Amino acid sequence: MLTCDEYLTPQTLAEAFASLAAHRGRCRVVAGCTDTYPWAREGRAGDVEIPVLIDVSKIPELNALTIDDKRVRLGAATAIQRFLDDPSLGRALPEMPRCAVWFADDQIRAQATVGGNIVNASPAADVTPCLIAHEAEVELAKDEGGGIIRRRMKLADFVSGPGKTQLAERELLVTVECDALPGYGGSFEKVGHRRSLVISLVCLATLIKLDAQGRHIEDVRLSIGGIGPRPLRLTQVEDFLRGGTMTLDRLERAAAMPVDLVASRTRQEYRREVVRGFMLRGLITAARRAGAPADVLAPEWEAAYA
Amino acid sequence: MLDLHLEATINGRKVSRPAKPDQRLLDFLRDDLNLTGNKEGCGAGECGTCSVFVDGVLMKSCLLPVAKAQGAKIETIESLARTGELNVLQRAFHQAGASQCGYCIPGMVMAATAALRANPFADREEIKERLGGNICRCTGYQKIVDAVEMARDVQNGRLPASVFAEVDAEAGDYIGKTVRRIDAPSKVSGRLKYAGDMTMPDMLHVQVLRSPHAHARIVSIDASAAEAMEGVEGVITSADVPGEDGFGVFVNDQPIMARGKVRYVGEAVAAVAAEDLITAKRALAAIKVEYEQFAPVFDQQEAMRAGAPVVHDYAPDNVTKHIPIRVGDVDKGFAESDLVVEETYSTQAIEHAYLEPEAGLAYVDPDGVVTVLSPSQNITHHRHMLARIIAKPVSKVRFIMSPVGGGFGGKEDMIYQGMLALLAMKTGRPVRLVFTREESIAATAKRHPSRTTLRMGLMRDGRINALHMTMICDGGAYGLSTEGVMRKAAILAAGPYLIANVRVDTYGVYTNNTPSGAFRSFGALQTEFATESHLDICAERLGLDPFEIRRINAMRDGAVTHTGQTLGSVSLLRCLEAAEKASGWEAGAPTARGATRRDLNRADTRPPVSLGARFGAVEKQEAAE
Amino acid sequence: MARKRGRGMAACWYGIARTATVDRAAAWAEIDDGGSAKVVTGVTEIGEGILTVLAQIAAHEMGVKPEHVTIGDNDTARSPEAAHAGASRQTYMIGNVVALASREARGRLAQVMADVWDVDVETIGTGNGEIWAKDSNHRISIGEAVSIAKNRGVVPVGSASFGTDATGLDPVDGSGRPWQAYVFGTQVAEVEVDTVTGEVQVLGIWAAHDVGRAVNPQGVEGQIEGGIVQALGQALMEDYQLKDGHTTTSGFAKYILPTSLDVPRINSIIIEDPDPLGPLGVKGIGEPAMVPTIPAIMNAIYDAVGVRITSLPATPEKVLMAIRDKERREADMVQAAE
Repeated sequence: MLTCDEYLTPQTLAEAFASLAAHRGRCRVVAGCTDTYPWAREGRAGDVEIPVLIDVSKIPELNALTIDDKRVRLGAATAIQRFLDDPSLGRALPEMPRCAVWFADDQIRAQATVGGNIVNASPAADVTPCLIAHEAEVELAKDEGGGIIRRRMKLADFVSGPGKTQLAERELLVTVECDALPGYGGSFEKVGHRRSLVISLVCLATLIKLDAQGRHIEDVRLSIGGIGPRPLRLTQVEDFLRGGTMTLDRLERAAAMPVDLVASRTRQEYRREVVRGFMLRGLITAARRAGAPADVLAPEWEAAYA
Repeated sequence: MLDLHLEATINGRKVSRPAKPDQRLLDFLRDDLNLTGNKEGCGAGECGTCSVFVDGVLMKSCLLPVAKAQGAKIETIESLARTGELNVLQRAFHQAGASQCGYCIPGMVMAATAALRANPFADREEIKERLGGNICRCTGYQKIVDAVEMARDVQNGRLPASVFAEVDAEAGDYIGKTVRRIDAPSKVSGRLKYAGDMTMPDMLHVQVLRSPHAHARIVSIDASAAEAMEGVEGVITSADVPGEDGFGVFVNDQPIMARGKVRYVGEAVAAVAAEDLITAKRALAAIKVEYEQFAPVFDQQEAMRAGAPVVHDYAPDNVTKHIPIRVGDVDKGFAESDLVVEETYSTQAIEHAYLEPEAGLAYVDPDGVVTVLSPSQNITHHRHMLARIIAKPVSKVRFIMSPVGGGFGGKEDMIYQGMLALLAMKTGRPVRLVFTREESIAATAKRHPSRTTLRMGLMRDGRINALHMTMICDGGAYGLSTEGVMRKAAILAAGPYLIANVRVDTYGVYTNNTPSGAFRSFGALQTEFATESHLDICAERLGLDPFEIRRINAMRDGAVTHTGQTLGSVSLLRCLEAAEKASGWEAGAPTARGATRRDLNRADTRPPVSLGARFGAVEKQEAAE
Repeated sequence: MARKRGRGMAACWYGIARTATVDRAAAWAEIDDGGSAKVVTGVTEIGEGILTVLAQIAAHEMGVKPEHVTIGDNDTARSPEAAHAGASRQTYMIGNVVALASREARGRLAQVMADVWDVDVETIGTGNGEIWAKDSNHRISIGEAVSIAKNRGVVPVGSASFGTDATGLDPVDGSGRPWQAYVFGTQVAEVEVDTVTGEVQVLGIWAAHDVGRAVNPQGVEGQIEGGIVQALGQALMEDYQLKDGHTTTSGFAKYILPTSLDVPRINSIIIEDPDPLGPLGVKGIGEPAMVPTIPAIMNAIYDAVGVRITSLPATPEKVLMAIRDKERREADMVQAAE
């Protein structure tokens, strides 16, 4: 059970920082709040008393959304459901709708925020690997009395471990900025114990851009979650595939590469098996969606792996 | 505490009232506005029974701080239709038989409403996806989805509203007709109140202190600080039981609250009644219990070994019950058999997971009758036991069944009603206890986990000659229905087959795990799982189709069972034939021939799910491009 | 093929009402003013639909419409014992006893009208709110008949008790007659196994169950569908876990229940082999509905991918590792042969 004495809803960043200062050491920042009450229950944190809750979800800057043909800027309080509801966002980030539809369920998506999900840093978080594949960066801000200081870093570096991020004391995640990748084909693979509203055991985000003939891989982004303390960008595999052609041999070699990265606390053997299979499935499915023709992407491969 | 001043529009009414900063919207709706159609099935956003519209967007109100409703337009289940009326979707739920216990139904109706608002032409796959955040434990979802499709079609004019009609019965011939459920309207409208929705004037709130240890002696309990706390009206322990303590289903081995020792984590040790929930919780924290831990035993086979910790003194070998079945001579039967197959099977502990967590109220009425109102599956037996426990004549004890939000055997045990009665007696005021989901999972009965060894001997022509099964179940800390489960499991173990030599032994064993108790299909699920899996293995070895091997051995009219009972009519062959025909089963031995069989993929199966049905149109477009 | 399909089947049997002990139930019935009826019995509706079943039986036997039947609350101080919800017993025990009590109430009313119309009581017919004498012009509403009866000092009430003839089991060999009614069933399951993740989806189930006599076919289907999905949960995903006596599956985030996306298309076939010992021929369905499901699914998994899962649940991990083990063993065998 969660008890608190005060619930504040600052309307500006400045107000938020003032509250953070005034209630230093006895407050918690919330946005969507979807994991706050569940966390304060038996089996997890148990009964929790937090004197002050500071809800940043109404701050305009955290709700801003800009899309151009190169970059997308999402306010931290953007609801996950936005990826499903906003077609322009879906076009700019071709992987996100497929990732988002696996995120919990309709009700929770409407309330949960991108920033909240990132800062929560669950090793099973699905949205983070997807954003990492889009070269996401986070913009952080804090004000210790001398004015607002901002900094940026790669999302891949921001998340440092289970439940751990680089967020400093009294610092807020304000914006997530990432590549717009219209025209890429994407796939999102996930396995859990059932089909919906489930914690991932492994998830893989794949984005592919093919050349005009659909033969060469112009660009590929791969990001994997659930196999270790934090989501990983598979840069070595990307370098291996980039510029090359799609042959089954190259795909199989790529698929084997991340297997040794599995460093989860439990179920390692299973995750290793799934990673290999997901790599093939993800690459083949993303390539098909990127427009690979049938003589490049043989139908037998799809039947065998997808 | 800095109260919020909440201004919002709720079900069309302007509301302007104080709210607590840590209240969830769900609490505000239920406790402050008496809108109890929205339920707390889990409190953790997993079950969907709390779903409400916030500015037209469906959300789980157990996750929403009430402050997030500031200035918002809230719609709950009660907003869909006036009392006594039902809207199109609710009528469809009624017509399609989509409501069973009803507890998940308000949330489900809200999710269905959201689905059809988002896409009035949503197909079955998209409907299922949009209901993916709502759990139902009773219906299996099929009729719920049927109902949403029906509502969609009526709304789109593809079906006439006249589909919502009571069945016609010529000359009053009502048996065999699908008459609509008489309790559905109150459930689909969210107006039926379950125990956790009920309040009484002057009511106190109860919380239960539960054991953190699996096996320990209670050295002392000091409740003085709790009793002295302002707002606390009564604290009870086993010392407060006036009569003969002990309840159960077959053996009364369980005290109302732990007596002398605790036997499982989560066992009730003490209980508090206070003016509000938070005070009750603080009082629990102030009760000092001193324990001396004993060595626990967590495995049923270990518990049966000499020297294992003894859970109940009356059962020094820890065996709650052993049921034997003996027919013929299995050794001879195996010796005669052409094929002998042995295998082990195991099943896990299962949680009932009814959407309604346990709840109940108790009071002493003006005639001195101690009255308990709870969703109990067996009020007759409970009354009997409680009368003895509180030392009152049966006529002075009354059990009223409140609407049950799912049972499945899990609400058969008198696991909290005794505490409610004692607190009502001690305080002289009505008392109410509502379990949290976590409390319900940790403290109440589970399906018996089982370990089974099965040996079958068969002749080459498929006749089963001998069957030897031993099943050892973890009965947990108290007996509950273990005896009955072992008995049913044993009687039905060998399946509906004529077998000349049968030896079955089922054992229910005490351990310091969560007690195992009644759960729908009661032991037969475990033994028949083994037997029916085993028949498949044997069929493969003998090259027989699985229907065929069963026909060869099937009981027929007048068969004698393994307990020596002569049956009358036996419909097994009819059931086999019907399932075979209906599924279009392609005959063949079960040699892992899935890749070559041609009876797969029919219209009466569903397509495999891959989330993204709502993208259907987008995908088709992409494929075309 | 990454995704492989298969089918399996299983049969079952089950006993109806309390095991190896005499079961019993009682009910009171009254044909009431205005063509309505009252039934009071210790019925425990837990969602299975027993209230509706009883309303139908009462309506059928007393000649009124089900929507005009009121069933009293289950209250030890107000209703006669009909014992508990369990053992798939309520349609059998309470359905049958409500039929008997209703017949007695109807009998009283029929006798009054037979006297009034001066006909043989066997010629009195009732149904759908009306009462009549065969081969005559006599036909009035039940409500009017009740008025007539009451004016003559007769209130059309009835009561009944129904018990089973079951015996305990011998403590050595288990012999005895544990139930007087048995039911049988068969299910076929079709699954798809994803050999990349080990996930199993159940795509179809065909379920044929003997219920004796179906009072409400949609209600029977509802029980079959609900039972199958509960069994599916145990087959594939549910697992209450303890570590040193403490549960690690404390809530629904860890204790995984089937959602609408996990369930098969369920095709129910109702088989009726009436019970000869009760007045209605009904038996039961609540529990038998879920007994064949798990082995049918496990047998289907074997059909699809050649691995036999003998310990539940068949999680994706268990299935995938079993598939890999099988592939390794087959590869070893091929190597050994070469």
